[in-house]
Amino acid sequence: MEAQMTTTTTAPRFQEFWRVFRNNYMGLVGFMMLVVAIIVAILAPVLSPYDPSSTLNVTTTDIYNPPSAAHWLGTDDAGQDVLTNFIFGARVSLTIGFFAAFISLVIGGVLGIIAGFYGGRTEELIMRFTDIMLVIPDLPLMMVVIALTKPSIFNIILVIGLLYWTTTARMVRSQTLAVKSRKFVLRARAIGSSKRHIIRRHILPLVLPILVVQAVLVVSSAVLAESTLSFLGLGDPTALSWGQMLNYAFGRGAMSTGAWWALVVPGFGIVWVVLGLTLLGQGLEQVLNPRLDTHHLMPGRPVVRNEANEDAEKSTGKSPLLEVRNLSIHYVNNGKPPARAVENISFNLQEGELIGLVGESGCGKTTLMLSLLRLLPSAGQIVNGRVLFNGRDLTALTEDELNSVRWSGISIVFQGAMNALNPVRTVGEQIAEAIIKHLPGFPKENLSARVVELLDLVGIAADHKDHFPHQYSGGMRQRAMIAMALACNPQVIVADEPTTALDVMIQAQILELLDRLRKKLGLAIIFVTHDLGVVAEMCDKVLVMYGGVTAEYADVDVIYNNPKHPYTQELLKAFPDLTKPKKKLSSIPGYPPRLDALPAGCRFAPRCPAAFKRCHTDPPSLHKLGDGHIASCHLLEASS
Amino acid sequence: MSADHFLEVRGLKKYFDVGHATLFSRQPRNLHAVDGVDLTLRHSEVIALVGESGCGKSTLALLLMGLEDPTEGIVTLEGRDITHLDDHQRKDLRRKIQMVFQDPYESLNPTQTIEEIVTEPLAVHGIANTPDRDQRVKKAMEDAGLKPAEVYLKRYPHELSGGQRQRVVIAAALVLEPEIILADEPVSMLDVSIRAEIINLLAELRITRQIAVIFITHDLGSVGFFADRVAVMYLGRIVEIGTMLEVLEKPQHPYTRALISVIPVPNPRLRHERIILQGETPNPIDLPSGCRFHPRCPVAFATCKVSDPRLIPLSKTHQAACLLLVK
Repeated sequence: MEAQMTTTTTAPRFQEFWRVFRNNYMGLVGFMMLVVAIIVAILAPVLSPYDPSSTLNVTTTDIYNPPSAAHWLGTDDAGQDVLTNFIFGARVSLTIGFFAAFISLVIGGVLGIIAGFYGGRTEELIMRFTDIMLVIPDLPLMMVVIALTKPSIFNIILVIGLLYWTTTARMVRSQTLAVKSRKFVLRARAIGSSKRHIIRRHILPLVLPILVVQAVLVVSSAVLAESTLSFLGLGDPTALSWGQMLNYAFGRGAMSTGAWWALVVPGFGIVWVVLGLTLLGQGLEQVLNPRLDTHHLMPGRPVVRNEANEDAEKSTGKSPLLEVRNLSIHYVNNGKPPARAVENISFNLQEGELIGLVGESGCGKTTLMLSLLRLLPSAGQIVNGRVLFNGRDLTALTEDELNSVRWSGISIVFQGAMNALNPVRTVGEQIAEAIIKHLPGFPKENLSARVVELLDLVGIAADHKDHFPHQYSGGMRQRAMIAMALACNPQVIVADEPTTALDVMIQAQILELLDRLRKKLGLAIIFVTHDLGVVAEMCDKVLVMYGGVTAEYADVDVIYNNPKHPYTQELLKAFPDLTKPKKKLSSIPGYPPRLDALPAGCRFAPRCPAAFKRCHTDPPSLHKLGDGHIASCHLLEASS
Repeated sequence: MSADHFLEVRGLKKYFDVGHATLFSRQPRNLHAVDGVDLTLRHSEVIALVGESGCGKSTLALLLMGLEDPTEGIVTLEGRDITHLDDHQRKDLRRKIQMVFQDPYESLNPTQTIEEIVTEPLAVHGIANTPDRDQRVKKAMEDAGLKPAEVYLKRYPHELSGGQRQRVVIAAALVLEPEIILADEPVSMLDVSIRAEIINLLAELRITRQIAVIFITHDLGSVGFFADRVAVMYLGRIVEIGTMLEVLEKPQHPYTRALISVIPVPNPRLRHERIILQGETPNPIDLPSGCRFHPRCPVAFATCKVSDPRLIPLSKTHQAACLLLVK
């Protein structure tokens, strides 16, 4: 039964792999090069113009003949056709390469998994042995062993195989350790799985990709090792590998007679195979190890406005510190229609004000926040709207002008950033670094005092300055991140889920800190969260987002006591309220829409308990309900 | 009801050896993760185990699962000692107690399909070849809210949302038809809108399948709604235990009071004074003298530094460990 299950599921997995690999040109070229070499080796008897073992009709005049019509690549020291030897040499070189690699991978893989999985004394023993093997220089050892035994193909395979497993063992061990500590392995133990079962079903599938990459690289080292051995005269004299061809040509005067073809041709073979394998290995690594994927925040694309519906309405009263007007952001998608991640969002923020930006994961909160400083991923593009900071339109600034606003005007506490502190440098050093990076002219002698001042501001005692991140608790790391964000005296701080993953008590401490900072420094804060309770505790205004659009925007009291949008109402019902215990929580059925497959009408319609026919066809417009209260729902049309 | 001692924990301790204080000292240093816990779980009861990180609640769960061996104390299930079992007996026991982990993104093997994940426990226990296998898998998945099961069978974890993944974890636990589920922070990684869904699901299971649940969390707010009893842990010990209403409405331990005061209330008109404890749980290696909570306690007095309070009965069901309650 189990076997059957595996066969049915490996097919799509392979297809998935192939789909990605096909687009990796480096890997594909390497793969093709290797396939060509293997085909040549397999079809050797068909492809080669002569019989390699035949010495018939060879005379002294045939030695080192240059390329001609009869011998396309000339002849060698024995008067034999170089092309023929080259083709048959592929067989020997590849056979040795593949078999030796196989042996070394089995040894390295098994030792690596055992060491990583069982740990303790077993691991100690295996890894010390591996270290010893690693410091012994391979080549001299191989030479000694081969010289002492009979230099046959079999012995060469064995010796290379037995010496080339060390790197594999080390890599497999560290991967096994990483996989072993993951929660699904603990879960497997909780089910009652045996160790063998865990290795076979949970460790091996995740070690395999690394093993595949390593296999390709080991084959290439094995091919090289064999060539080296043969060139040094330690190859199997009966099997003419490429290394052996070089050896003969070199040893028997090819250089002095100017017979370059006898040297270049086998050399080309070695380079071809090794290059092909290296490219393939690199390509496979990129495909199988997604961590190498580049996905960084980059200074985004230039702003291209393609919507003209600019709201001309001027805000009344004193102009806000930060005003976001009709902001829309798309993710361009290789020819496909763009993902409309954020559409037509407006809000404003006064000095010392705290706005909550609320919504479920994937509703565009983070995109919106990043776009304020144009830090979107490379596919993201502002397509409409303005971000006015102190009256300056940030969407119209150049990168250089924007750099003067980044961090010193508006700074961001990124989600999860507290886990991204550099573990080998003290927290104080990292804060100092942030200051220097953003204020290059900052006097060096004041740096230390400034770091202490910042730490004090966030409630960390000065003597913790020289501690490393691992000596900090989660709450303290988050405080340090806030200190870093304050480094250049910004007027606005964007905090992206700053309390998620923290305990309630630590969460309360961080909230208290932010509240204190805004009172003390007059900071305006944008608080991004999915947690409505946190918002109620401290925000002045709330913007509820759903699927990239404004669901509702109002003062905090209105949001909680007079919400008009069904999404806000449903969110509130899902939130546990201790003042009403025993009330059954209701959840919103379904999941937020994918941004590349948005519903035609209202984005919330598929999950909305109050949806009617029109909701599925027309997107609702934003209705102004007075006193800054805005909601987008067809049901509110009459009341606006 | 009082005779119902389904799962019973007595004097459970777990110390981890963390090496020596200094290079030359012979004195071994212990991390007191769990330090004398008594707890009784009744049939199809829901107990919420609440505390901050480092209070030992997760270690307690691992001890109950037999994934760690206790330093001292025993756990009995229906009167049978389950702390000292050989591998074979332990494996049988696993069918009765299952665990749901915190992080649904980490607790599923990314290379397995949902079908493989949910079938695996059956394979491990050698019951994967029975004719009702598919039926069992389907029922477990649908009970966990993955309806219809066929839609999900061939998918991989990365194709599912966080809430759906947590349902898969629950389905993989249900497929063995356990009597107890240990849920270790099952919703803390999920969006608030999804949390209610998972909590309601667990609440349903105790009714439809008579499963007892130990719900481990740092957030009292999320469990008030379906727990029968609440146990508050601090530094390896239970400092207050009682029925849900007793603990939420009449908390007696200052720590419980502080925990309750910081639960966000989703109504800005009810903004209230919060008791924010400074600092974090001290490390469980060098324990404070006397009452373990005294360095952070807002109402501590002199005796608290020297005298270590025991749990004091306040009603038939309510106990708390605080010197202020000693009469």
